[in-house]
Amino acid sequence: METVTDKKIVIETRDIAKVYQDSKIAVQALRDVDLEISEGEFTAIVGPSGSGKTTLLNIIGGLDNPTSGTIRVAGRDISKLKDSERIDFRLHNIGFVFQQYNLIPVLTARENVEFIMLLQKIPVHEMKARSLHLLEEVGLKEKANVRPSELSGGQQQRVAVIRALASRPKFILADEPTANLDSASAANLLDMMARMNQEEGMTFIFSTHDQRVIDKARRVVTLEDGIIKSDEIRS
Amino acid sequence: MKMLATIAWRNVWRSRGRSLVVIGSIVVGIWALIFMLGFMNGFMISYINGAIRNEISHIQIHEANFKEDPNIGFVMPGGMDLAESLASDPRIQAVSPRSVTGGMISSPRKSSGGRIFGIIPDRERLVTQHDSLITEGSYFKSDLKNPIVIGKELANTLKVKLNSKVVLTFQDRENNLVAGAFRVAGMLETTSPQINKASAYILMEDLTRIAGLKDGVHEIALLLENPESETVVLPELRSAHPDLLIESWREIAPELELFLSMTDSFLWVLIGIIMIALIFGIINTMLMAVLERYRELGMLMAIGMNKWRIFMMIVIETIFLSLVGGPIGILIALITMYWLGLQGIDLSAYSEGLREFGYSSILYPYIENSTYAYVATGVIITALLGALYPAYKAVQLNPTEALHTV
Ligand SMILES: Nc1ncnc2c1ncn2[C@@H]1O[C@H](COP(=O)(O)OP(=O)(O)OP(=O)(O)O)[C@@H](O)[C@H]1O
Ligand SMILES: [Mg+2]
Repeated sequence: METVTDKKIVIETRDIAKVYQDSKIAVQALRDVDLEISEGEFTAIVGPSGSGKTTLLNIIGGLDNPTSGTIRVAGRDISKLKDSERIDFRLHNIGFVFQQYNLIPVLTARENVEFIMLLQKIPVHEMKARSLHLLEEVGLKEKANVRPSELSGGQQQRVAVIRALASRPKFILADEPTANLDSASAANLLDMMARMNQEEGMTFIFSTHDQRVIDKARRVVTLEDGIIKSDEIRS
Repeated sequence: MKMLATIAWRNVWRSRGRSLVVIGSIVVGIWALIFMLGFMNGFMISYINGAIRNEISHIQIHEANFKEDPNIGFVMPGGMDLAESLASDPRIQAVSPRSVTGGMISSPRKSSGGRIFGIIPDRERLVTQHDSLITEGSYFKSDLKNPIVIGKELANTLKVKLNSKVVLTFQDRENNLVAGAFRVAGMLETTSPQINKASAYILMEDLTRIAGLKDGVHEIALLLENPESETVVLPELRSAHPDLLIESWREIAPELELFLSMTDSFLWVLIGIIMIALIFGIINTMLMAVLERYRELGMLMAIGMNKWRIFMMIVIETIFLSLVGGPIGILIALITMYWLGLQGIDLSAYSEGLREFGYSSILYPYIENSTYAYVATGVIITALLGALYPAYKAVQLNPTEALHTV
């Protein structure tokens, strides 16, 4: 099915199911999820609370294993990786942005941006240049040497996004990155992500409930009770 | 690694209060450890030195049979000459030849058994320094005929005062009882209960005259210039005089060595207790730090920080705590030890009881320099051990769960 003109597929899930077995009650968080995501997409995963958004993102990001089904990321079956390989895989392939607590409190904004690059052992001069460039890009140049506690929620999330970007992952996963932001900051963050998606060609997958955020996505995957309800691509 | 160290160092100062508590307990732990070591050391040194300086001396020489059977007949032939020749050895600080016998010491009201030493006061005082331990009267300086110096407690037992008359009774070499009357010229108080309660010192000439001995040296006590030279001097003397019994203080008073080793094991117990307390303090604190940062650690693992790095981050943080606390503790301990080493600790409030056991009342704590290094290493190892469990806990966490806990 793959043709030469098709964009490269970076994520491919086949019949993914996830069952949480908590004491006696089993919760089916995902079922029969087939999803393909190509390079450079800007995709929103939406759905009501408990529909399985976080679960899906965790599985795609290699933080969790599906109960059944296969997941290939950048051509590798990540459910077969050992714990230590999985951490390494995340380090080099996936950028994460969480709802909150993204940043290391004792490091400055700039050190936070450089942190993953340090773990990746990127040369110091390149690392410094990239972090400064990105901080400038998102208007936080003068906050470079400030610790997260002195940044607003929106500023913290922007730092988290550029930290993910700076490490040049295959794609960035953001689980409700705007949930703790007011609408202006949320819009601002989304605009920034959209710009980075355009400029850097970075693949973004993010989950959200927020209609205004959904409106900015170019593809919207809707989950309900762990099943993909709809998958629409907008132009 | 540098980044880990940076994070760890800043984490130390993140919850300042808690870190200061740990640093404080490390400081107190080190201080207490060194203080106790110094105190015990001082105790031991003062005890052993007291025993050597005022009673046993470094080396004693006897006729081969005398120890088994302290019969007055077992004198050393040519004992005086031997004493003279030893006195000219530069490694030997002082030599005291003695006549020794057991006997009864009686006053008109009481009598008591004890050891009777016939000495040459000008030689004896250089070995045992008894002239400096006289509490009443003088050390063979008066013109009294037949002077005797006895222990203070013995004087109390006999209920005698200065110038009181006491009678010494003992056996001569034919096992006949002989006696002589003496006048108390001085009373002696040492750290040795044996001397205080059951020893009498008279002039050698008096003892040999009464016992009818010509050559009356039973014992030669040697004080070395340098106690360490014992290992050389002792074998030398032994091969030069194979017919004599030549012993070091270790052989004469084996209880001193036993005491040394007992104190040592007691110290190890104390050190163990302090270290265990420190370990639990550190485990507790670092565990709290790990639990507090659960989400943060989860985030770090999610974004690709591996377990080894997480583990090391916690360990390094703990080491930093001990590296801050360690030097402060050692510095305070050093100052305390230096000051107390000069000042001494006055134990006279308790010294009645202590003297019973042979301690002097001013104690000078003492610590060898290497001990500071041992203690510092010990504390760092303790901190490391204390870090292991919290670090292990940190590594065990599951990032998805950690990120979910609100
Ligand atoms: N660790 C877990 N153990 C047991 N059940 C879980 C666990 N995590 C999620 N679930 C359950 O799985 C289902 C899907 O949860 P998930 O967090 O993926 O939903 P979500 O779409 O992200 O919801 P929200 O919008 O509230 O974040 C829910 O019913 C939830 O209760
Ligand atoms: Mg969720």
